[in-house]
Amino acid sequence: MNPLAFNETPLRVLVVDDIAESRRELCDLVTVIGHLALPVASGAEALKQVGLQAADLVLLDLLMPDVDGFEVTRRLREIDAERWLPVIVTSALAGDEHISLALRQGADDYLARPVNAELLEAKLRHCRNLLGLQSRLRALALRQRTITDNVPDAIVTLDAAGFVVDANQAALRLFGDGRPGDTAIDGLRCDDALGADLADLQSQTTLRLRRGDGRHFPGEVSTTAWRDGDRDLFTLVARDLTERQRVERMKDEFLATVSHELRTPLTSIIGAIGLLAAGAAGALPAPALALADVARRNGDRLSRLIDDVLDLTKLEGQGVMLHLRPVELVRLLREAIDANRGYAERAGGVRLSLIAPEGPVEVRADADRLLQVMANLLSNAIKHSPSAGLVSVTLKSSAEGVRIEVADRGKGIDAAFRGRLFEKFSQADSGDRRAQGGTGLGLYISRLLIERMGGQVGVVDSRPTSASAASGPSKRDSAKAVGAVFFVELPATGTAPPIWALHVDRDLDARLRVADLLTGTCRVESVPDLAAARGVLPQPALRLVIADPRSQDIGADDFCAGLRDLAPGVPLLLYSDAVDADYAARHAARWLAPARSDNHALVAEVRAALSQPFGRRKTDR
Amino acid sequence: MPGTTELRRVMCVEDDADIRMILDFSLATLGGYQVLAFADGPAALAAVADFTPDLVLLDVMMPIMSGPEVLAELRLLSVMQGVPVVFLTAKAMPDEVEALLVHGATGVIVKPFDPVTLPQDIRIYWQHGRG
Repeated sequence: MNPLAFNETPLRVLVVDDIAESRRELCDLVTVIGHLALPVASGAEALKQVGLQAADLVLLDLLMPDVDGFEVTRRLREIDAERWLPVIVTSALAGDEHISLALRQGADDYLARPVNAELLEAKLRHCRNLLGLQSRLRALALRQRTITDNVPDAIVTLDAAGFVVDANQAALRLFGDGRPGDTAIDGLRCDDALGADLADLQSQTTLRLRRGDGRHFPGEVSTTAWRDGDRDLFTLVARDLTERQRVERMKDEFLATVSHELRTPLTSIIGAIGLLAAGAAGALPAPALALADVARRNGDRLSRLIDDVLDLTKLEGQGVMLHLRPVELVRLLREAIDANRGYAERAGGVRLSLIAPEGPVEVRADADRLLQVMANLLSNAIKHSPSAGLVSVTLKSSAEGVRIEVADRGKGIDAAFRGRLFEKFSQADSGDRRAQGGTGLGLYISRLLIERMGGQVGVVDSRPTSASAASGPSKRDSAKAVGAVFFVELPATGTAPPIWALHVDRDLDARLRVADLLTGTCRVESVPDLAAARGVLPQPALRLVIADPRSQDIGADDFCAGLRDLAPGVPLLLYSDAVDADYAARHAARWLAPARSDNHALVAEVRAALSQPFGRRKTDR
Repeated sequence: MPGTTELRRVMCVEDDADIRMILDFSLATLGGYQVLAFADGPAALAAVADFTPDLVLLDVMMPIMSGPEVLAELRLLSVMQGVPVVFLTAKAMPDEVEALLVHGATGVIVKPFDPVTLPQDIRIYWQHGRG
């Protein structure tokens, strides 16, 4: 768009002169140039017309009775501070002093009397261009404002002291006091306006905020710092999570119900078939046994599918708690292989072998979940093995960690598909009849589990490419050619933090959540109260006590004192909504409120506490 | 073998009639135990003093009283002292299983269970839970 498009529009020029003849002369000039002239005879009348927004520009005679041109200019600037109205003063007086004075009072330009038509035309053209720019800027600003006001998320801009300098309509609806079309939170501090201070708004992504009506709600906030000239500003986008959390809860409840409702009839179906096949109701003839086997296998598969879908939902939602403990891998791998021998036998006599170093190999892992991963990899390898093919499990141990490889003698995996293999609902060869036993979730779940244990899972394909096969002898004997090699890598036990945290909290859910969150940070011993804490202490590796005085059967002060007695010199983190910063400070404790902080904040706080030099040990040195 | 050291009487509390039938086939027909099954907690609680079970199999999600609620009531009865209680649950997540064990159950059997191995499975829990 041409910024000077305003050009063609005639200006409405207010011609202010008390002398009728010179007023008419000037009006004629304005009209000839192509503008609209609005003659007025006094300063008072001029101010009235400007107040009505009847003019785009004022041509003002300086010398008038009553309200003179100087006074008109001064008062004009007070009428409409938002909008620039060009004022050109005219005068027949000699000397520059009165012109200087008029310009100081707020006039934009001047013309000497008698007015030169060419000069007037040039000046009006100039003003018209500027007015065009002004109108375009106003339209742009209005458009930006309208866009911001139509964003459904609350957008609030704060200055460095935390005062609200701008808020969009959604922010006013959420945080305002409900009066229509006002700016109820402008100029308030964010503590008063949003119920959170600037530091919290900057450091936390989910926190408790306060509505205009005083009710609190869980909010998701992202805050960006920026500079406007020499001013530091913070713009935050806030969203009410109440509805999303309600939907999450509904989804969890729905899944729990569906799981229960699906498993209950499945229990009867699988049970009845199993009993029939076992001869509980009399021996079955061979063909009936074969049919019972079909039904049993598919019942099992349906059951696995339900498990997988639930597992997945929980893993993706961080709802799964892993118990990382030292695990002896050689024994675990043997167990995994033994558990899959039956399946391997049925799948055409596939053979399973284990190659492992002499002696035990220890890692920190969740044994049950690692078995689940191995079962996934093994059944996958067996499924893709030729009859009597070999599936070999190799365990390699090094200073950095361990690597478990599961190699089959199948067709391998197409390079194009390898990257997508560990994604949701991926099956490489859905055309392969034997592949249909899977749910397409096993490898994805395996990846999530291993990543949660601090390791990684992947696949290599050791088949020679056609180019390298043609160019020279393959490293492998073709009879032993390996298909796909899946691997799991886990960090060595030594890299796991050998430090303990004790968590004392009545609330089982809170304990499970904290233990889960701190899985990769330290070992967490969770107990409900002081009596139980006494049972697990002293623990030389204890470096932090996390506690909530709420719901304990003794007062908070006694509870804290009890903890100090049990673990003297060990830093204390009060992770509790029941106390505040002052309380924590009195007990020389750190403090974090679960309701006002997110999971990352807890992990960060614990890491910070653990990285502090440990008081007693320091003095020992 | 003296009678007191053997697993004979098993009480089942399960609201689903079909699963009760599977349990009966499994534990009575295959396992040879004396089985008494109830559809809800109150009925089982009323009968427990007469039946004096050696082990109780308890469904978790039931109308009227939940499994953990029935367990809490059972634990108050003198005839139930030292009697293992094993939950049957359709909730299979490890943390859910752990949460059930917190209630004082001897073990948790996850549905769908294998009715052919169930008699042996509960015998292991019985041996474990008695001691």
